[in-house]
Amino acid sequence: MSACAGVFAVSCSREQLKGATTLQRERQLNQFLAGVERRALRFAEIAVRDRDEALDLVQDAMIKLARNYAEQPEDEWTPLFFRILQNGIRDWYRRQMVRNRVMVWFGRGTNADNDYDPVAQAPDPAGRGPDDQAQTDEAMQELESAVGRLPARQREAFMLRTFEGLDVAGTAVAMGCSQGSVKTHYSRAVHSLRDALGEHWQ
Amino acid sequence: MKKPHQDEELARQAKELFDDSVERLDSATLSRLNRSRHEALAEIERTKPFGKWARWMPATGVAAAAVVAVVVWQGVSTEGPLPETTEFTDFEILIGEDSLEMLENLEFYSWIDPSDLETNGNVG
Repeated sequence: MSACAGVFAVSCSREQLKGATTLQRERQLNQFLAGVERRALRFAEIAVRDRDEALDLVQDAMIKLARNYAEQPEDEWTPLFFRILQNGIRDWYRRQMVRNRVMVWFGRGTNADNDYDPVAQAPDPAGRGPDDQAQTDEAMQELESAVGRLPARQREAFMLRTFEGLDVAGTAVAMGCSQGSVKTHYSRAVHSLRDALGEHWQ
Repeated sequence: MKKPHQDEELARQAKELFDDSVERLDSATLSRLNRSRHEALAEIERTKPFGKWARWMPATGVAAAAVVAVVVWQGVSTEGPLPETTEFTDFEILIGEDSLEMLENLEFYSWIDPSDLETNGNVG
């Protein structure tokens, strides 16, 4: 009997230890997601040009990260999270293509792009005047529009490297390709953007 | 002609604009992000190994220990010289209503042939 009690006590203490570790992991994941969620939303919003869709994509990515990769080392979360998000965005594009084909088949186009307002009408926390803010909004619209016209892989490379600040290795993990491909896509993206925006930005 | 400084400048301006747009997200959107995050964290709880059964682990452990104890105890007790039926019958007699009478008539019971117990299964 005492052996059984001993085994039981050990199993209980292991459970408690596991519970404490899980709690700590939850706390770390909460911090990570809180730090990345806003940028991830804008990232997805620029890609799909719709805030509600972007919110859904970010939520899916958060859930998948928590479900499948919570036990991974913390420093791997950023590329993994953006890889999940990228995959979600690609799936979204595939679904849109199918939907658009169906809509065209039934004689209805979509003008979602024309209705899109990329910057929410929110007060400026930096306290800038309406003119300054309008200029910033206009520049952001131009940037979003130009980024949105890039081929998908170039857009991914540019956004991950520039907006998220991932290094080449992290971007390669997030995009699921080699580091050489990342460099090529990024370089082409920057050149295309410079051609598109150069005259306004330089 | 390659213009690395222009590339860097473009990336810097783009990042500034992006950061600015992140800072200006409205409160309704931030609230939705917050809810999404908590739903994601709840997913960890749901997908823990033995997740929802974990709370029953101590009770299950106690029950398993009790079962093991009973099995071990029975194993030891069956090694005795008397057959199980006799032992059970004696126990039944002891806890029965007539146990006091039995104690008064111990001589009578000791006179009964043990083989009679085995063949009939009772003393009555």
